[in-house]
Amino acid sequence: MPRIGFFINPIAGMGGRVGLKGTDGVAAEAVRRGAEPMANARALEALRGFKRLLDNSPNPPAIEWLTASGTMGRKALQAAGFALVETVHTAPAESTAQDTKAAVEKFLTAGVDLILFCGGDGTARDICAIAGEAMPVLGIPAGVKMYSGVFGVTPAHTADILMRYLAGEIGLARVEIVDLDEDKYRGDEWAVRLYMSALTPFEPTYLQSAKALISSADEEAIKDDIAEQLREDIAAEPGTLFLLGPGSTVQAVGRALAIDKTLLGIDAVADSKVIGKDLAEQQILELLDRYPERKLVLSPIGAQGFLLGRGNQPLSPAVIRCIGADNIIVLSTPAKLARTPLLRFDTGDAALDADMISRKFLPVIVGYHRARLVKVAA
Amino acid sequence: MTGNKIPTVYELSVPDRHGVDLPAPDVPQTALPTEGLRADCDLPELSQLDVVRHYLALSQLNFGVDSGFYPLGSCTMKFNPKVNEQIARLPGFAEAHPLQESETVQGNLALMFELQQWLAEIGGFAGVSLQPAAGAHGEFTGLLMTRAYHHARGDLKRTRILIPDSAHGTNPASTTMAGFTAVELPSDARGNIDLEAVRVACDDTVAGIMITNPNTLGLFEEHIDAVVQLVRACGGLVYGDGANMNALAGIARPGDLGFDVMHFNLHKTFSTPHGGGGPGSGPVGASARLKEFLPGPVVEFTRDAQGARYDLAMPDKSIGRVATFSGNFGMLVRAYAYIRQHGTKGLRENSEHAVLNANYLRVKLRDAFTVPFDRINMHEFVCSGAIDGTGVRALDVSKRLLDYGFHPPTNYFPLIVPEALMIEPTETEAKPTLDAFVAAMQAIAKEARENPALVKEAPHQTPVRRLDEVKAARELVLTDRAKSEAP
Ligand SMILES: Cc1ncc(COP(=O)(O)O)c(C=O)c1O
Repeated sequence: MPRIGFFINPIAGMGGRVGLKGTDGVAAEAVRRGAEPMANARALEALRGFKRLLDNSPNPPAIEWLTASGTMGRKALQAAGFALVETVHTAPAESTAQDTKAAVEKFLTAGVDLILFCGGDGTARDICAIAGEAMPVLGIPAGVKMYSGVFGVTPAHTADILMRYLAGEIGLARVEIVDLDEDKYRGDEWAVRLYMSALTPFEPTYLQSAKALISSADEEAIKDDIAEQLREDIAAEPGTLFLLGPGSTVQAVGRALAIDKTLLGIDAVADSKVIGKDLAEQQILELLDRYPERKLVLSPIGAQGFLLGRGNQPLSPAVIRCIGADNIIVLSTPAKLARTPLLRFDTGDAALDADMISRKFLPVIVGYHRARLVKVAA
Repeated sequence: MTGNKIPTVYELSVPDRHGVDLPAPDVPQTALPTEGLRADCDLPELSQLDVVRHYLALSQLNFGVDSGFYPLGSCTMKFNPKVNEQIARLPGFAEAHPLQESETVQGNLALMFELQQWLAEIGGFAGVSLQPAAGAHGEFTGLLMTRAYHHARGDLKRTRILIPDSAHGTNPASTTMAGFTAVELPSDARGNIDLEAVRVACDDTVAGIMITNPNTLGLFEEHIDAVVQLVRACGGLVYGDGANMNALAGIARPGDLGFDVMHFNLHKTFSTPHGGGGPGSGPVGASARLKEFLPGPVVEFTRDAQGARYDLAMPDKSIGRVATFSGNFGMLVRAYAYIRQHGTKGLRENSEHAVLNANYLRVKLRDAFTVPFDRINMHEFVCSGAIDGTGVRALDVSKRLLDYGFHPPTNYFPLIVPEALMIEPTETEAKPTLDAFVAAMQAIAKEARENPALVKEAPHQTPVRRLDEVKAARELVLTDRAKSEAP
């Protein structure tokens, strides 16, 4: 019997409605401005959709729910008509991020197969920080920002993914947990940051193997294909500096090179050997001085398609200019691209952004000897 | 459903039952050499009638164009006229040996020569080779020719082949096999290749583009002229995936549109049988500048003082052979018979009827199913098989169609339409069949809303329910005993 930990961040999304660009640390201000809680409504929509799918299913799994009290989960589960609900964490009426953490800890102690939550990137971060990188996590979107890879597109979509995962139709993939620095964002500065990776039920990439037959390739295998292409390219260019950017797709290149690539940082490789890890801007500029031939390998972060953003401080406008926009190699799995229809740039340097935008499309490596032209957002 | 399950021959076996009674021997008996004897054969013991009934029952589980409607998009499951089969069985065709001297098979060579001429005429090409054994094989051949062409001009930096994201999976696969890198181009909102993307992609590393027109959404590429011009202007060649020629034959010629090389799927457009891994045939046509690179041998005709004769010959700069002997000759005979029967006017009418039938189905079905590119289509169209809020998907609709006695459409292709059902009725189906199919599809859409479990659990009427198709393809276990012996 599947056991699901279910958690709602009841104040998620409130800041957005009243122009606060996020709710982290400003919930009281949001309420003062007249924000209505909406997370429970979104969660209920997903749970009802999921219940309908269960009821329509020929042999529905019986699900044991572990949750937190009241608007942190229990109420919505009951309203959706689920019976097997155990409350493992009781929170005060004014809940905080501490309650998120406490609930997730209790889910882990009691043992769950998956954590379903409702919130935004901040909630995803809080949950994954405790749940770790091996526990499947799935999000019902209700926040102001939902750039992490764990969210369904809509509550109904999340319900659908959950149903298919429980039915064994889809597997898990590693995705990125990202968040904006809300203080900076409120000051109109874009600072998206990658925090960690997480496992989530993932709609497979369909591969056509014959006319009426489909098979799906798992996301990690596709990353390895992409990485193999890069391994060949790196081997074919001795003496060239390859700067490997953050994220799990580029991390796979490290696997192919048998080096230990950092998930969050920028590492440098030349002649297939590591020559620097988790580099800061100054260190990168020094390397660029030494290597006249250089390439920068990036993958769009999260669902929003940002290739270069201010969150990625080491890749400053000075660094990008020095490398040259023509020397940027972009990697992505087809599934990630499906969620990322446009590539975006916000380097903090308007002229550089304009140069990238004027290219209209960038080639993205999507497999072994396979690339795709992807639109750049205007 | 277990009620329909057909027992295996082993389950039917009765100890000591046999199919033939041998007469008593009238020669001295001798013992069989023991090293050849095995005790563990475990052969089934059945009467002749048991065996006949068993295999007849199994054969009746087959589904083919001859038994029902088969709207498998992109595959062109049209009727294969029986006269083709009679002609292919004529002893002169069926019993010829590939190593016979040319003088002894002049008629067969004449047939090949004429077929080359006709395909060149239909496609608008300067030359044709009948060698390749399938569409995908034709693609690979065309790409090798593309490479040979560039290399012959000393142009070695062209490593990329542009391919729209709606293309069939064989296009990028052939590209990689031929040593190129496949660069996918996005489609625009009307289902065309994004012209802006072509513009950005075209440079001196482009070896060529592969275009399917009409594309796999069944749509005519509205900017085909512009795309061809852009690619040619940057020095690239234009490869045509001719899988959808059955919408154009007799109406428009890819060669006239500027295509340099294209395969024909004889097993689609020209009604030769396919499916079940049977022999296909994918002749390749080439423009004047690529003709010399065609794989050989091709058939040539000469008339001189000694008279007229047909011979096998290698084109000057041929990429060589891509198949043994002369390709799948039996299929060439059938395609020849088909073209002969229909003539120019008939081929054109077939294309027109294929287009008419597909548009009829699209319009009839667009209320029950979402049609993402709802504009006049060619010989096929794509709708979404997902029915909102019910959890019913393309695969479920397809499985339920089996209960209604129809072969499902192509599923999950093209990949740019989520939950795609690709429907191609072909010109050989009459209106009552199309109407019966529409009624079944509408009934399934209604069932999905009222009783989704019925659709999600389908099929109900077949001997086996849902098979694990991926596992079946990867772990090909074909015998009952292999299953029980498996670790
Ligand atoms: C559009 C398209 N291109 C290429 C092919 C490959 O042809 P074949 O199956 O003959 O190898 C197909 C096959 O169905 C197709 O539909």
